[in-house]
Amino acid sequence: MMQERVENGALIFDLDEPLADRPVKDIYLPNAYCSILKRVVSNIFSLREDGGLDLVLATVGKCKCDGMRNIASWLERTTDIPILKVENDNMNGVGFPISRSGLPLLKKMELIVNSVFAPLPEGLTLEECAPKCGFWGVPPYDFAILELFPDETHIFGWTRCMENKTPADIEMECDVDTGVPTVFFTQSFCQKSAFAYNLAREHGGLYVEVDKMMSHSTRAKIEAFLEFNLGWRGKR
Amino acid sequence: MSAPSPILLDCGTGYAKIFNLEDSTRAIVPARRFIKTLSEYDIKASTGHNLSSGAGARVNELVALAEGALSMVDEPDFTVLDFGARDVKYVQIRSRRVAGMDWNTECGAFAGQVVELLTRYFDVEPENLPADAPRIPVVCGVLGMTSMFDMISNGKSHEEALAGFLRGVAFNCETLVGRPDRLYLSGGLCDNKAFVSAFTRETIPLGRFVLIEGLRKIYSENNI
Repeated sequence: MMQERVENGALIFDLDEPLADRPVKDIYLPNAYCSILKRVVSNIFSLREDGGLDLVLATVGKCKCDGMRNIASWLERTTDIPILKVENDNMNGVGFPISRSGLPLLKKMELIVNSVFAPLPEGLTLEECAPKCGFWGVPPYDFAILELFPDETHIFGWTRCMENKTPADIEMECDVDTGVPTVFFTQSFCQKSAFAYNLAREHGGLYVEVDKMMSHSTRAKIEAFLEFNLGWRGKR
Repeated sequence: MSAPSPILLDCGTGYAKIFNLEDSTRAIVPARRFIKTLSEYDIKASTGHNLSSGAGARVNELVALAEGALSMVDEPDFTVLDFGARDVKYVQIRSRRVAGMDWNTECGAFAGQVVELLTRYFDVEPENLPADAPRIPVVCGVLGMTSMFDMISNGKSHEEALAGFLRGVAFNCETLVGRPDRLYLSGGLCDNKAFVSAFTRETIPLGRFVLIEGLRKIYSENNI
């Protein structure tokens, strides 16, 4: 269906991502709510105001958090925004070489996020490296957090599932390498924080939650974790 | 004009803690005042929220806390909590090595500056607060203060409400550090008897210069 629309000239936007010249309007959801879903809803209304919105594909299954299911129902009930609820329960993985590569963590995350719509760049070589540490979680609202980590950081959690094209695979989402110092990241006010919090306790990792932009304290906390565990003092 | 004094600096949100390398004296001044007198100092090494640039070698706050506590506590296993103006952090030591750490990074509303503000606002002496006040649940500092003011509007005294708030804050700290039998405390609230006594386990104040002691150790070992 998406392919047909694209061939007919439609543009597809990833509503999770910032859209150029469309700042997030923090007026549609409660203050204490996931900043990524605030951005999604703001982007929906912003695109509609400009008359540029034909359809919202709302992912509402086990493949995502519970938030979008509720938001999609609200939008369906109270607005004329066209919503199509979809679920992705695919369990046939395609692999996750990016997550285990030695590319900078920020680059890894960009490649995985962009792979939703675009194939990997031609000529890209992905060499697996041994993990020095791990980053577990969803793609963060503020990618700056990823710059704190060494390149030999493996990606775990939902982002790995995303690369594997199995976003509903809870077993894979909970899998981390035992003994690898891992930061368990969650957006503040996200249902997945229950996972992150308890997996961090189970594996002796570091639980980190961030609402929007990373604070000085969060930066220093991650830096300390990496310094204590790896002797790593950042890319200086 | 005299040469700038060489110092080690822990410049937190509320106060700057200073160690003068020339005469080994220590000082505490409000951070807002210290920042205006920067030219008087030659900062050899620093830690803390403020002065993140141009302030000598930087040392992470948790690293300074761990090193400082290790230089002040002889036990092989212990936990030290630093209760700062805007946040709370701790390190857990096992066999004289860092085995755990955490830092509450989001809600500054249950940290030291709020306790200090409330104490001034109510104009109470911490040692006069009741020791048996019921604990107020402090899910976050703001919600905790809402509960505290509800208690007052329901007829409780300001002292009892504030003491209950402090016990709620102490309870959160104990949850953060994993409820050890004994807890070492760092930071400005070491001097606040009501806060120290709000903990439900043996709590030993180490004072306000723990991070400075860590800086001294790291600096003397040329490890920065």
